[in-house]
Amino acid sequence: MSGPDESFDDHPRLRDRLRAADPAASLAPADPDRVARLLEATMSSTDDTTGPDAGGTTRRSSSGWIAAAATVLVGGGIAFAVMTAGGDDADTPTAGGTDAPVVTTLAAPAAQTARCMVPNAEALAGQEVAFLGTVEELGDDTVLLSVDEQYAGAEADQVRVESPAEQMELLVGAVDFRDGEQYLVSATGGAVTVCGFSGPATGELQSLYAEAFGG
Amino acid sequence: MDGAERRARFEAMAPGLVEPLRRYLARRTDPATADDVLSETLLVCWRRLDEVPEEPLPWAYAVARHAVANAERSARRQRRVAAKVATLDPPARTTTDPTGGQDPAGDVPLDEALAALRPDEAELLRLWAWEQLGPSEIATVLDLTPNAVSIRLHRARQKLREELRKIEAAAGHEGSRGRSRS
Repeated sequence: MSGPDESFDDHPRLRDRLRAADPAASLAPADPDRVARLLEATMSSTDDTTGPDAGGTTRRSSSGWIAAAATVLVGGGIAFAVMTAGGDDADTPTAGGTDAPVVTTLAAPAAQTARCMVPNAEALAGQEVAFLGTVEELGDDTVLLSVDEQYAGAEADQVRVESPAEQMELLVGAVDFRDGEQYLVSATGGAVTVCGFSGPATGELQSLYAEAFGG
Repeated sequence: MDGAERRARFEAMAPGLVEPLRRYLARRTDPATADDVLSETLLVCWRRLDEVPEEPLPWAYAVARHAVANAERSARRQRRVAAKVATLDPPARTTTDPTGGQDPAGDVPLDEALAALRPDEAELLRLWAWEQLGPSEIATVLDLTPNAVSIRLHRARQKLREELRKIEAAAGHEGSRGRSRS
């Protein structure tokens, strides 16, 4: 990578001393089979331009999450009806002792394909639950998020999304849940709303949430 | 580019990126984050193949750099949340010593001198000496102009030398006192 560059070659002693302290000097080369698998997994990963892939492809080889893209009905599906209590905080389900985190439980939407509506602030503002959260745990049938900011619904410390693995797989694919990343999530009828209403906490979705919930 | 062309281009390019990226990441983050960021970086190269320049490595380093920064932001956020939520396991450290503490004979004065520099200055020196990049390549990684990189690199080298002189002068005094006593 170096090239005939004066600032590179002009200070050999300093550079050599730094090179000698290179922490990667003893790094063994990667197993070629593993590299081949990684590259294959990369090329077969779904992305926005190739669209849904019902066959399922590996999105992250390290975590092994299968990301089958999904398009799911807004507000439809299973209603666990957990957020119907009118109270602001005391009625949140599964609240334990005083020191236990307050956990709201939601479900993945039913895995039926249906028409999506275009995400808009008005529809978003009507969601029963909306929050900014960070994925703490990704399991086969569970996604646990810590709540960073609550916009709608009862205040909770954590939100646990629980569904049979098959439905959860579709939800994880649709929202692109990844461990440690931050998401804007909304739900109605106890089920997470997809179709562009829940997703990584970035640009457009942030603006939409800001518009719906007054920033 | 159709699907086959994309594959062909990626297959020609990506194997040459893997080892340099692994080294780049081993120098800057813990092994688990390094694995994740490597996958993520390759995925970005694949998805944005049309944007990858002729010389892909500095561009790929820039992608990896952002991914590491994101990973560390997430880890910091998780630690903040974990402090509130007693049921969570203790968080892992984001950046561990890449040598794993297996290098007791390391260049301590150099480590101290690098630590005394501003983080951006130390990073310039690492890209120069470890990744062996020239100013225009470093400029791609850090999103600066090559001219700015040349100037800052020059200053960073001067500062590193000064810090080394100070540290070694101090160590030298201690060393000679130690010897004179024995």
